[in-house]
Amino acid sequence: MLLKVENLTKRFGGLIAVSDVSFAINKGEIVGIFGPNGSGKTTLLSLLAGLLPPSAGRVFWKGRDIAGARPDVIAALGVIKTFQNPQLFSELSVLEHVMIASFLAFTRMKGHGRLRSFLSPGKGEAILRARAEKALTLCRLQDSSSKPAAELSYGEEKMLGVAMAMMCEPELLLLDEPASGLGNDEVHNLESVLRDLRTHGTTLCIIDHKVAFLARFADQAIALQQGCKIAEGLPHDVLADPGVVKAYLGRSHHA
Amino acid sequence: MKTLLFLVPLYLLPLVVRSDVVLTILIFTFVLSILAIGFNVVFGGAGQLTMFHAAAFGIGSYVTFLSMLRFGISFWLGYLVAVLIVVLISILIGWICFKFRLKEFYFAVVTLAFAELCRLVAMNWTSVTNGTLGMLVLEKPTVWLPGSGVVRIEQTVPWYFLTLVCLTGVLIFSVLLMRSWIGRNFSAIRLNEDLAQTLGIDTFRYKLLAFTISNVIASFAGALYGFYTGYIEPAYLAVTQALDAIAMVLLGGVSTILGPVVGALVLTSLPHLIELPAEIRVAVYGMILILVILLMPRGIVGLAAGLSRGRVNAA
Amino acid sequence: MTQVVVGQILNGIILGSLYGIIALGVTMTFGITGIVNFALGQFMMIGAYATWYFTDLAMLPFPVAVVFAVALAAVAGLVADQAMFRFTRNNLVNGLLVSIGLISVMESGALLLFTTTPKNMDVVIAGSLTLGSITLPRMKVVAFLLLVAVIGLTWLGLSRAWLGRATRAYAQNPEAAMLMGVPTKALQTAVVVYSCALAGFGGALYACLFSLEPSLGGLFILKGVEAAILAGVGNLLGALAGGVILGVTESVGSLYLPSAFRDAYGLVFLVAILLFRPAGLFGSQK
Repeated sequence: MLLKVENLTKRFGGLIAVSDVSFAINKGEIVGIFGPNGSGKTTLLSLLAGLLPPSAGRVFWKGRDIAGARPDVIAALGVIKTFQNPQLFSELSVLEHVMIASFLAFTRMKGHGRLRSFLSPGKGEAILRARAEKALTLCRLQDSSSKPAAELSYGEEKMLGVAMAMMCEPELLLLDEPASGLGNDEVHNLESVLRDLRTHGTTLCIIDHKVAFLARFADQAIALQQGCKIAEGLPHDVLADPGVVKAYLGRSHHA
Repeated sequence: MKTLLFLVPLYLLPLVVRSDVVLTILIFTFVLSILAIGFNVVFGGAGQLTMFHAAAFGIGSYVTFLSMLRFGISFWLGYLVAVLIVVLISILIGWICFKFRLKEFYFAVVTLAFAELCRLVAMNWTSVTNGTLGMLVLEKPTVWLPGSGVVRIEQTVPWYFLTLVCLTGVLIFSVLLMRSWIGRNFSAIRLNEDLAQTLGIDTFRYKLLAFTISNVIASFAGALYGFYTGYIEPAYLAVTQALDAIAMVLLGGVSTILGPVVGALVLTSLPHLIELPAEIRVAVYGMILILVILLMPRGIVGLAAGLSRGRVNAA
Repeated sequence: MTQVVVGQILNGIILGSLYGIIALGVTMTFGITGIVNFALGQFMMIGAYATWYFTDLAMLPFPVAVVFAVALAAVAGLVADQAMFRFTRNNLVNGLLVSIGLISVMESGALLLFTTTPKNMDVVIAGSLTLGSITLPRMKVVAFLLLVAVIGLTWLGLSRAWLGRATRAYAQNPEAAMLMGVPTKALQTAVVVYSCALAGFGGALYACLFSLEPSLGGLFILKGVEAAILAGVGNLLGALAGGVILGVTESVGSLYLPSAFRDAYGLVFLVAILLFRPAGLFGSQK
């Protein structure tokens, strides 16, 4: 078991965004979290990534409680999150984005002392650059590598976010609505990238409200509504759960 | 690094130019460029607006001189003492500001507050600093040269070369810094701090590093300045000195390597090209600051880079 | 002994109200336009010198002089807003830098016009008031009451008048306010102009109590910012309280510690507040 979430709660003043949520993610799984808008999905992911401090509850990563830890500490432990609205470094090129994201990989490289790297980038930089270009190629961005990231299309920006996340060598990748705003072609590409990641041992946790996308993809599904977990299990079963159907469609639906 | 080739003709300049005035202007330019580069590391690099660089400038002068006086050591050793003190103060202030995740405005205000506190200390600790009267500096830096042995830097030409060499060193350092992984992290923090954190960058540590490096460089400028002018006073730590440096960086081009030098050159030579009473000069500096922000945010260097890129694209 | 301490406390309250009126301007400007107008101290200086000029040199009656001075400060604020601040909305760094440039321009202007020789206004209201064992100059009492009145009216305006409520609504949620038809551009300009006018008014009263030098602007803006942060930026009435607390501490403190430390209190408060209660004494933890 990689990640164990226990009674996680987040309150914003009087509003309870995430309420007493508990679940577990095992290594190599693809877990899909879905629910209508306002169900607390993004808040949940932000809590896991350390961008928000929880009001209550614990988050165990490989047995260690990381609830409330700083985002960079959590990232260094192997948990990387992408953003629903692509976050960029304005002015910088696509390649520079991925090179910045190579920092964690850089810290893990043996034999390339940081001081030496300061004085002359040399071999370590070359290795990272090769990896960066590979990540870009996987995300079909290799032709734009020297373009300013601000010139990318929305879908390309989202894929850049995925490329940056990949460079961080994540053990658990939290994807916040990766498919939203993508055209069909791009969604297929995204799927193949994610399947690739899974083959390489990365555990994925994806939130999206495109139910179909998640359903054919995920091993496990968790349904949220108004901050509470209302169903959990195989995607097929969760989607058939009457509570889930009611949450999405607003009334009981007899198939 | 190629951009630093422009320094080469500067080394040959004294062979051609004999005018003391020109050389003096350049000496001031070189020293103030170092201060401006210091500011640029933390502002143009990591994106934090600091008001402490003038205080570091002043601390560099005072501590270097006082160490020489009290301990009988050389200029360079005295400066090392100043570095130690500046690093400690920077870590203290930086820790206070960044640990509590103070936003940009609060950082500027707190560094201003600490700078003012330092200035008040310099003004009131008369037993040590001689207060507002300032201190006369009769000592000079000494350099060991092969062939001549230990040389005191006193005349204009030796000062010219000393300050030019120091500027070259600082420029090389700043190029290495900004092109390294450290500089990359600075840029990441400047452009999108939240994103940088999710990519594993400890923004607290790097902001602190940028702030400390910036103040060390500024203190180096201060030490040189105090010993060149032969006079050290609390006004070195004042906000006006900080603003001069900010104006130089903005005018020359923020986040560029040469910007601070260009800005320093323009603002240092301006009073000599246009005869103006002191008050109007300050007003002109203010106008320049305003105009640059509103019309030319990328500064002279940024503008030039944009134009040349435009030409390349058109070709 | 008590006379001295109480006298200093009252001095501090009056000085603090001046800090408070600047703090109010700082807080309002920050809440509505997203920048800190560091040049507010200069608008106070305009008000001060203008009042002195109109009263002593142009020989106008004092109230008229004050109105003219405030109007002058307001107009200057309008010009500054349209020429500069309009382009730096919500850009804290640029706004700060631009206002700093403005300070240089305005302070030099004052130096040229008036030189560093301190100017003292002829006494407007003479005599003193005796309450029990305490004697106070009448001018100081009047000044204090006027400042409190103006700040109180501002607060009333913000809570009752439509424009005031619109301002507060905008400060809390700009988008919602815009959707409800609040004229944001006009509002932002109005707030800048009003805060400059407030500063000018503070300057007018300053001129009655103290001697004028071009550097007074720089001193007061720093104290104003300190008071605003002490109270909690965004809290309008708190700004006055913050100013008074600062003023009283400085005045009473100067009885016991050397006057060199006077300016240090504000700085120490500033750092302490930001460390231990960043929302300010009266601010709410958001």
